[in-house]
Amino acid sequence: MSVSPVSSTRPDWARLVGESMKQHGVWHTYTKLLEARRQYPDDLALRGYVEIVRNGIVRDFLSHPRGLQAVPKLSADFLSHFDRFNLNAQEGYLVSLIDGRLAVQKLMILSPFDPFTTIFILAKLEHEQAIVVPQ
Amino acid sequence: MNFAFALELLDQLPTPIAAIAENGTIRYRNRAFNDAFGGDAIDWIREAARTVAGERGWLQGFFLDGDESRTIDVEIEGRVFRIDRIMHIKDEEGPAVTVSFEDVTQQREAEQAKSDFTAQIVHDLRGPLSGIQGTLEFVLSQEGAKLESLYADLLQEAYRETERMMGLVNEILDFSKIQSGAFIVETEPVRVAGVLKRAVRSLQSVAARDEIFLLSAHGRDVPQIIGSVEKLTQAVINLISNSLKFTPKKGLISVGAQIVRNGDAPEAIVITVTDTGMGIRAEDVDKIFQKYKQSGTKSLRGGGGTGLGLYIVKQVVEAHGGEVSVASIEGVGTSMVLRLPVKRAA
Repeated sequence: MSVSPVSSTRPDWARLVGESMKQHGVWHTYTKLLEARRQYPDDLALRGYVEIVRNGIVRDFLSHPRGLQAVPKLSADFLSHFDRFNLNAQEGYLVSLIDGRLAVQKLMILSPFDPFTTIFILAKLEHEQAIVVPQ
Repeated sequence: MNFAFALELLDQLPTPIAAIAENGTIRYRNRAFNDAFGGDAIDWIREAARTVAGERGWLQGFFLDGDESRTIDVEIEGRVFRIDRIMHIKDEEGPAVTVSFEDVTQQREAEQAKSDFTAQIVHDLRGPLSGIQGTLEFVLSQEGAKLESLYADLLQEAYRETERMMGLVNEILDFSKIQSGAFIVETEPVRVAGVLKRAVRSLQSVAARDEIFLLSAHGRDVPQIIGSVEKLTQAVINLISNSLKFTPKKGLISVGAQIVRNGDAPEAIVITVTDTGMGIRAEDVDKIFQKYKQSGTKSLRGGGGTGLGLYIVKQVVEAHGGEVSVASIEGVGTSMVLRLPVKRAA
């Protein structure tokens, strides 16, 4: 998905986002949508498209066979090279809770973030291979 | 066709028609116009123009390009006239417009009567419905009675149907209030996080029954706004209910809130209700907030609804000085987006 500079005409987000998800996957699309949101801060519908993509990511994470009972673990790569992972404060906090024994459901209770954000961060950490979620 | 014939033709029409110059003087009027307004016509037109000028710049608007289909209802001395622009004239005397005047007083009275009737019937329906719902709720809460599972299932089904009927009745009631102008938004401080929490909690059991994840996606630090707790809660419930109709099993509905800042100060709150449902067809996206309009997508759980739910959401949000938008991708999901300004209490 490419984003054109600010203009008075709104891009066809539905088509752009749909095509980008098919061709490049949800995470690439999500990153591009965040860039687009900086260029179109007043575009309400665009915020909706960001949420649609985030929703898809969280739903996919929840549809793992063990769902909320899955127990995330820190990856070997993360344990040996954690300084290579550029975690923000929220991600760092959640990583600190992951001990290989707490299931996703328990992490949602312990996390200071809302349930959706907690799962979204876990999905992002899994995507970046900082954690593994055995099924 | 010659000019005299055209004037004769206009004189035979039952609709009052006049040609009005840019300064508000009447250059021509047909017989029906004279019959309707008589010698006071000029005063009447000026009064009409003055009435609407503050609101829409009606008279001036008639002389602007790109303003072809302006219609407005004007109330003068107890009667309501619908004024339509017919055509633009420009001759040696200068520019003028011909306009028609339709007396819609009776039509408006009929609409008001219909609206009053709806309000009355809905109030009458709510009484017994609340009674039935309360009784069922009480019976279902009696664990000691050990209701046989068949009876319990039937009662659950009856209870769900009364809930659905109550929802429809409430939508009609809200709609009739909007139509009659009795839809007033209170000016109390509203904790938006509380509104979202209440709306999610009220539909959590329905989502669980349909095996849909319903998750909050907002923190506690959402600022307060000024408005109506009850109406905003109802608007968010309408959005979640709508998503529940179109989201398949194992799907997800999230209810979020983001703060839009102007510098450090919160300027607005953006509420999103997003689902992993079937999405809305591109040709239907612009229609979904209109009354009686439903997306062409068929509900997964039956029950067509009134087609008023999203219309009411739009009215509630606009009554709070906000705006609504929608994002949707067919086969992926839909996100309803509400922007509410953060007004400072005086």
